[in-house]
Formats: sequence, structure tokens, C-alpha cells
Amino acid sequence: MALTQDDVRGIADYARIALTDEELEEMCAYMNEAIDLLQPIREYDLDGVEPTFHPIGSLSNVMAEDVQNAHGRSLDLDVALMNAGAKQGRSFRVPSILGEEGGDR
Amino acid sequence: MANIDQLSAQQIAAGVAAGDFSATEVARATLDAIDAREDGVQAFLQVSADLALQAAEATDARRAAGEELGPLAGVPIAFKDNMHLVGTRTTCASRMLENYESTFTATCVQRMLDAGATPVGKTNMDEFAFGSSTESSAFHRTNNPWDTSRVPGGSSGGSAAAVAAGEVTLSLGSDTGGSIRQPAGFCGVVGMKPTYGAVSRYGVVAFGSSLDQVGPFGRSVADVALAMNALVAGGRDSLDSTSQELPVDFVSQLEEPVEGVRVGIIPALMEHEGLSVEVCSGLKKARAVLEDQGVQIVEVDLPNIAAAIAAYYVIGPSEAFSNLARFDGVRFGYQEPGCATLAEQTALSRAHGFGAEAKRRQMLGAYLLAAGVYDKYYYPAQQVRTLITQDYCNAYQLCDAIMLPTAPTTAWHFGEVSDPTQMYASDLFTISNNIAGNSGVSVPVGREEETGMPLAAQLQGPAFADHILLHVARAVERGIANAHAYEPGTVAPAFVGKGGELA
Repeated sequence: MALTQDDVRGIADYARIALTDEELEEMCAYMNEAIDLLQPIREYDLDGVEPTFHPIGSLSNVMAEDVQNAHGRSLDLDVALMNAGAKQGRSFRVPSILGEEGGDR
Repeated sequence: MANIDQLSAQQIAAGVAAGDFSATEVARATLDAIDAREDGVQAFLQVSADLALQAAEATDARRAAGEELGPLAGVPIAFKDNMHLVGTRTTCASRMLENYESTFTATCVQRMLDAGATPVGKTNMDEFAFGSSTESSAFHRTNNPWDTSRVPGGSSGGSAAAVAAGEVTLSLGSDTGGSIRQPAGFCGVVGMKPTYGAVSRYGVVAFGSSLDQVGPFGRSVADVALAMNALVAGGRDSLDSTSQELPVDFVSQLEEPVEGVRVGIIPALMEHEGLSVEVCSGLKKARAVLEDQGVQIVEVDLPNIAAAIAAYYVIGPSEAFSNLARFDGVRFGYQEPGCATLAEQTALSRAHGFGAEAKRRQMLGAYLLAAGVYDKYYYPAQQVRTLITQDYCNAYQLCDAIMLPTAPTTAWHFGEVSDPTQMYASDLFTISNNIAGNSGVSVPVGREEETGMPLAAQLQGPAFADHILLHVARAVERGIANAHAYEPGTVAPAFVGKGGELA
């Protein structure tokens, strides 16, 4: 069943990309076209086939030592902050997380 | 003396080491060539003249102090603009990262610098590597040096074009579904996608983490081999948990005879309806020159390759959506001003920072990973990945490498392929290699009669057989040169000799 514009609006909300009405219409057409391209995946008999999530089969998590700057890779504070759109002192500055209106404009 | 575009990487490094010319002279000649050619090519997003001259001076100082120089001493190199290099911006050709200053240096970049290479700049690409023509760059297009009304391919279009136009000797690109091999084919240069993990991804902005691989462009197989040596010389990179050891010398075997090597061809693929007659005849020529050198041609089959496009456009966008979630406008990247809440700031920063194709891929990935949809597409795509990987394993029982087209056609005109899903279909011959994590290389095999555009053949090999692949690629290159169809080292005719005189 084809995706509707309402479906696509929901996905955009989840993906945190604010689409305009015009973009929404284009995106809806694109997504239905792209999903058509993916149909061969659903036509396969895959019973009993194990998935391959990664070309390297035996991956395991790499844990760092719980010590400060163990690998000398930590960024200096000014470097870490230099690409931030808004900062305050030693911190990244963000608008309010709670509420519709926030209050930190 | 010579023009910089006529020298191989090996000749430059040897010349610098012998004192025939200095690394600084090479850097100045390169910057001069870029100055004279860049209006026509537009391969670069940033030319790092100061960094280039500093690095070259350091190389010259090392020589003056009697120190041994690296194998790429003084060789001018450009990096795709998704690779971090301190002292440059890393924009991924996106408004999102227009002002992003590199906070550290990627391992692949550092290894080229450690080998003595001179960094001259960052090259244009499709935004976040989403595309096959470099047209989705937020900043400007890049022209194919062979015909500036045509695309250079993509997503590493700037890296391929800069080498083809003789602006640099080497460049690095990244290949998630063909983004090194296809632009190499379109621009008439050699481009290698190594085995997954053979080159560290640390410091390269991620697109599809189980697919991405960094590799070199050069105007000859020998130059690409030299670059591969530098990329793997440092061994496994502890900063990338998927980095794998590939302890081979790519250069030493290049000129060995290829007699008895088995190269597979896939008859069914050569019948593909979208495949142009000229691309097909280029492959026949490549096959003939290999047979002349004693290569055994065997027929093999990859029965599940037809599902590769579908599997790729499930796995790629899903991984991209996950990776690009970090662009929320807080720590780096475009930040929408004047927002009341973080949610609003995030949604508007992403809406205004990302271009159309970057939004499309992320939306597709968001959908595919949603509850209820995951089981329909994502999981089966990973099962199809198993089938494709097994197909390759079976084929490599019968042959050492597989030869197939790099792309169905030669480079197209700007705007000619405007439908996104039509462009996706053009990745047909390259993407299965990324799905399986194997090695691949594109090598020029001549020029199309009517248009003069470069023709290419692609060689694919098993994981960790990268050196065998380059060995066969060199045999193709040698045979094609003997047949006077294409010389290694060729610079696109409209740009050859413009600026770049080595004083």
C-alpha cells in the first residue's frame, strides 16, 4: 500500500526534518517510487538464510579504559566548542527541551 | 623542465629525493596548475595553499637534514571533502557543514602525509556522498575534464576530476556503492575501492558504516599501488574498530606476468539492457589483451546480483539515517536561529542544512527502520547480503578476479539523469562489491568513438586480494597501452600543460 502524505509527515517528524508542504508532496512521490525499487527484496525465498549485518562477522564492542583521555584523542575545550552554533562558558547552549514554547529565545 | 602533469607519483618522489627539484617547487607548480585549470574543472571546494607549502618546506628541510624521505615525498594530493584535515574545513559539500573546521585529522589523510605527500586541498562531492554525478553538491558542480558539459561521476567526482585534469597527482575518495570506481571510469583515471576495513575510516564522515571504504585515484595503476602502500603501511588502526590488517606490498608484483591468472566474466551481465554497446566493446578489448598475456577467461555467475540494488537501497539509507542523526545543530553544523525549543531547532536546522537528496535518503532510512517495516525490508536485505556474499565466494572458487563494466554508460550530460531512482539504478555494477565487502578497481580501456569520453573496465576480487586485483589491472593497462587505445598517465586533452611548469 502506497504511503500517504500523512504517513510521510509522520516519518519527517520522527526524522526531525521539518518539510514544507511542497517538499512533503515531492517526498511522498519519491518514497513510493523508492519503495517500489526495493520490492525484489520481498520476492525472495529467504527461509533459513542467516542475515549478514556486517562484512566482518566477528565484530565485538571495543571498550576504552575508564580513564581521562586514555588514547590522547580528547579534544581541547576550545576545539570541541569551536564549531558550535551557540555556546556559553564551557558548554554547548541549547534552547529549552521541555514545553511547546520554551522560553529561551 | 617538465610539466607537473607529466610526472608519476614515483617520479616526483624520486626527483625530490634525488634533489632534481624540491618539494616546494612541486607544490608551487601544482598550485599554478590548479590556478590555470580550476575555472574549467571546479574540482575543489578549498585549495589549501598554505598547508601545501608548509608540508613541502618540511619535506625539503628533512632532505636537507639528511633524513630519509617517505615514498610519496612531495607528491601533491587532494582529499575528498568528507575527510578531516586540521587546517581545512570538512564540508561534505553541504550547507550543514559549510563552516565546519576539522577538529582532528583522519587516519587515511595522516598516512598520506606521513608518507611525505603534499596536501593541496579538499575536493567537491555529492552532498554527504549521496549521488553518482557530484550534482548534489550544495556549492557548485564539477565538470568532467574530458567534456565540461558532462558530469564527472560521483560521489567522489572532484577527486576524480582533479587527477584527470592534472591538477594533482593523487587523490583520495570514498566508495559506499561505487563512488570511487564510477567517477574514475567517467574521468579516465584509475580508482580503487579496497577491501572493507583495509583502510581506516577514522575521521571520514560516515555514510554507510558497513559499506564505506576509502581508496585512491591516480593516472596509472602504479600510482594507485604506491598510494595503497601508504594507506596500509601503518597496519591496523586502533581508532577504527573495523580496521583490518592488509600487510602486502602493492608495488613489487605489478610487472609480474599474469599467465595462468583466471579472470571471470558474467555473460548474463554483459547482456544487460542498459549496457551501452561501446562500454561492452571496451570490455571485449580488455578481455582480449588479458587473453593475449595468457590470462584464462572463465565464465562465472552471480545469480542474486539482480537483488543488489534493492538490498543496497535498504542498507545504505538505513545506515545513513542512523549516522546523520548526529547533525542536530548543537555541537557542530548549521543551527537555525531563534528557535523556542530544542525540537524545533533540530527539525529546522536539519531542514535548512541538508539538501534535497540528503533529506530523501534519510527519510527513506527513517521509514525502513520504523517498527513494523524493519521486518519487511531491513532484515531480508541483510539475508540477501548473505546470498550475494556466497555468490562471490562460489565465483572465486573458479577465478581470481571478475571483470565487469564500471558503469552501464560513459559520463552523461548535466541534468540528463534527474530522477533519483533512475540514478540509483546506474550503480548496478558496483554496489554488490560493497555489500560483500570485497575489493574493486576501475581502469581505463580506451575512448568512446563518437564522444571521445573515456571507457573503463572494473575488476573485482575477494576480500584481501587487493594486490592481485592491481596486478591484473596493470596487465589490462599494459595491454591497452600496447594496443594504443589509452596510455597510463593521460591527462584530459583540454587541460594538459596548462600552468604547472616545474621551474
